[in-house]
Amino acid sequence: MFERRLYCHIDWLLVAAVLVLCAIGAGMIYSTTYDPTVGTVGPQLSTQFYALLFGVVAFAVCLTIDYRVLADHSPLIYGGMLALLVCVLLFGDVMGGARRWLSLGPANLQPSEFAKLALALLLATYFAENRRGTVERADLGMVALFTVIPFLLIAEEPDLGTAVGLLSVALGVTYLAGLRLQWLAVLATVAMLLAPVAWTYALEDYQRSRLSTFLDPARDARGAGYQQIQARITVGSGGLAGKGFLQGTQGQFNFLPVAHNDFIFSVLAEEQGFLGVIVALGLYLFVIVRGLDAARLAKDRLGAYLVVGVMASFAFQVVYNVTMSAGLAPVKGLTLPLMSYGGSSLIATLAGFGLVVNVRMRRFTN
Amino acid sequence: MAERGPRKNRKRRAARASGGLFAHLDAAEGRRVAAGLAWRQTMRRRVLVVAVGLALWTAGIETRLLFLQVWQHDDMVARAERQQLRTIATPAKRGEVLDRHGSVLAVSVDADSIYAVPAEISEPERIGRLLCEALEECSEAFRDRLIERLRGDRAFAYVRRQVSPREAARVAELGLDGVGFLKEHRRFYPNRELAAHVLGYVGIDNQGLHGIESTYDEQIRGRPGQILIQTDARRRAFSRLDRPPTRGATLELTIDGYLQHIVERELRAAVELHDADGGTIIILDPFTGEMLALANEPTFNPNDFVASTADTRRNRAIQEVYEPGSTFKIVTASAALQERVVEPDDPIDVSAGMIRFGSRRIDDFVRYDTLSFADVIVKSSNVGAIKVALQVGPGLMGDYVERFGFGRTLSPDFRGESAGIVWDPASLNDSALASVAMGYQVAVTPLQMVAAASVIANGGELIEPRIVRALRQDGQRIAVTPRLIGRAVTAETAATITTFMEDVVKRGTARRVAIPGYSVAGKTGTSGKVVDGAYSKSEYNASFVGFVPSRAPVFTVLVVINAPHGEEYTGGAVAGPVFKRVAESALRHRGVPPSIRSTSPILVRRRGDPLPSVVAPAARTILTSLTSVDQGPSTMPDLSGLSARQALRALAPLNMVARLHGNGVVVAQQPGAGDAIESGMTSVLQLSRRPALTKDGELDP
Repeated sequence: MFERRLYCHIDWLLVAAVLVLCAIGAGMIYSTTYDPTVGTVGPQLSTQFYALLFGVVAFAVCLTIDYRVLADHSPLIYGGMLALLVCVLLFGDVMGGARRWLSLGPANLQPSEFAKLALALLLATYFAENRRGTVERADLGMVALFTVIPFLLIAEEPDLGTAVGLLSVALGVTYLAGLRLQWLAVLATVAMLLAPVAWTYALEDYQRSRLSTFLDPARDARGAGYQQIQARITVGSGGLAGKGFLQGTQGQFNFLPVAHNDFIFSVLAEEQGFLGVIVALGLYLFVIVRGLDAARLAKDRLGAYLVVGVMASFAFQVVYNVTMSAGLAPVKGLTLPLMSYGGSSLIATLAGFGLVVNVRMRRFTN
Repeated sequence: MAERGPRKNRKRRAARASGGLFAHLDAAEGRRVAAGLAWRQTMRRRVLVVAVGLALWTAGIETRLLFLQVWQHDDMVARAERQQLRTIATPAKRGEVLDRHGSVLAVSVDADSIYAVPAEISEPERIGRLLCEALEECSEAFRDRLIERLRGDRAFAYVRRQVSPREAARVAELGLDGVGFLKEHRRFYPNRELAAHVLGYVGIDNQGLHGIESTYDEQIRGRPGQILIQTDARRRAFSRLDRPPTRGATLELTIDGYLQHIVERELRAAVELHDADGGTIIILDPFTGEMLALANEPTFNPNDFVASTADTRRNRAIQEVYEPGSTFKIVTASAALQERVVEPDDPIDVSAGMIRFGSRRIDDFVRYDTLSFADVIVKSSNVGAIKVALQVGPGLMGDYVERFGFGRTLSPDFRGESAGIVWDPASLNDSALASVAMGYQVAVTPLQMVAAASVIANGGELIEPRIVRALRQDGQRIAVTPRLIGRAVTAETAATITTFMEDVVKRGTARRVAIPGYSVAGKTGTSGKVVDGAYSKSEYNASFVGFVPSRAPVFTVLVVINAPHGEEYTGGAVAGPVFKRVAESALRHRGVPPSIRSTSPILVRRRGDPLPSVVAPAARTILTSLTSVDQGPSTMPDLSGLSARQALRALAPLNMVARLHGNGVVVAQQPGAGDAIESGMTSVLQLSRRPALTKDGELDP
């Protein structure tokens, strides 16, 4: 099933950029979890390393299997994912007030990260088989249905960040599949109308306070606005050239909470400065543009939409996390893919890139 | 995901085409081709839109990062440090203040403060109890509070501040982890009131608040050390960094502790004897401007300055102005002589005994017929001084008032020095000029007055009075050099005024001041104090200013007694005797040889080297003969300024062989003045047409 000539079409540049980002992320995790008094690193680094190994395996698997074969099984994969999400709600482990993880002996699995891939695959399959070539009202209904089920399951954990990631997948695929602009306007209006309702009924208290303090962080500097202020201090104190590797004090001394996770970009900005940030940001942009390129080059609609679905959630997370790290968006538990600490996220992201390379690689085959 | 072969895969796709999950969406094959082109176009367009959006976002986010990381960088770094670093200042030891002989006037003593780092203390209960046993006066309540402070992860907590050395030693013996000592300092003035106004005092936060403690605070305070503690977000201490404090500089004053003591004793006695409100005495070295003593009454104890009143803390010598009265006639006479308005022997008609300006009438104390100008000063005739001043005119008078240092602050060593009040010469009418001529309508500080008298004493130069002799820091001694403000009058004028002032003591208003064996030059002053806007008939400032020995002055002394309420109130009667006692003691203390011959020619000579002096060689002759006698045959006399012939004559009795270079007067010599010599030695003399400025008489080719 894997023909040797396909090797020639693997997008090595994309692979290299992804791996470099993983390496930068590992370095930042090393730095933030480093304890200068004892001189040791936290357990997160080795976890991340194992996740990287699994991720490379997942990448290889997703690369090897023809994406059309995967599309054939997309309803099955989607169904299995829903089952896992239900399992999480029933048997999941609670950490930090959220039930997001399934315990698998030595490791924990966060199925919500993989739900994005499953949804992207399903939506791509759906639109690929849509002979009309445009998005009709009925299609929108189907898309909404496919999206809302995992969305609600994940939001129930609660993990609003990842749930919103699903929306980005749906929106991205639908948009590139030819969603008419008037529909886009309708969707935006509905979202605006729903916002106050969601504010009152759907959001938890902590989420509400996060949103309101975003507008005025100083109002609650020790509470909800704390992270946002600290993120700004962390980024700002880095300066042009940064404080140097292991020299970032904001993360090491816990002023910036979960620095190795949601705010790893801020730590990068602190230690490597504006120049380091430019490099990382450039790599991310390269990866995204390369992904969109893969969509453009794709042999068929299935491939194009699949790539778009994967890249939509990736780009959304990057844009949101970086914006948040710079103190320009409300604080939200969205990781920076490839760099942030988090095994499931890393494995899922690498698997997603497996699909992207898969599509690009097979653009000449039948 | 299960493994599937390519063949099976193809089978699946066939199945899908014939009716898979999305079979209902199937349509004609032809439309598929058309749509195939359409979707690609749509997608390409929309990918472009997305890419443009991404580019805009990138530009925005990089602008934001530049704003934070470059524009706001410093601010953010400061905020990060503020929350991460805890700074504890460790005070520096304040430098000492010494008198000119090295005796301690002010010193800082150590006091230990005990602190704890609760984060490093695992058993607060036990540690608290141990500390309590070691400390004195440890009540139950204090112990409980202490244990409470020792709990938790904080980085710093005081155990007790400024404990006794015994307590500190006992706590140190315990050798507890997480318990440390901070050195704090308390200022101590071992001589209590001695030179209180000069020294000032120090607040509890090691801040000089008055006197030189305030003026030189920056130098003697030292730089406080710092303990920097890196803390994490939960205020847990991580690492610490000690920056030791730098000790302050030691200040060496020009004050002579012994003279200061004499002066304070005599001042207090006089104030009590005459039931006065207060007084001031200053002793100045007329050639260097060094204040050897400065005392005010009433005074205070700087160790306990909190208990003193603001009035006792006021340094009257520099902060309080008074109308000097007749002592100011020194200025009037100098102006008249220097400008050749009168000669010392010119007769001045004062037979009226009074002078009128409109309705204003000014009287003399004693009525005379006709006085020579010299006697106008000697007898302190107001009418005579006024007549001369009117001839000098307001412009020149104003000029000389300024040249003598009035109307400006003189010393950089004191804060809050008053400049006094001097009228603009242009606005002086005859009546006002008359007042100025006899020392009214000008307000001066005692410091200005003593500096003005020193102008006469040192041959005509106004030298900045100062109180700091040197700064000592890190084993280095930085001496303060004398500073010349300007020349007020020529040496000749100064010499003439000196003869006037000698006569004041010999046969004028201050006959009681005469010191046996020494020639004294002085001037009395008695001025009515202004009370409620008018000159009082009962409140006077009695003052005397003079210098001894008048021919080779060592001390200029000013005595001002404010409002003596006894029977006597004139300067000659109240301040004069105080001057005499102070001057006598000072001469004895310094070992100044008597200047017995009262008719010896005036001698004006600069001691020390830095200021150029124009000296008549004739006067030098006398000097050498005096000094060579004083110093005995075994030391080299000072030959500078002498002609070759005079020098050889001076060396002849010493059996010295002289080798001469150049023509003119001696400007350098080897051996130097005061060096030990033996008979038969050869001396080398450098002669020059103009007196050169050389150091210590060393040869300067």
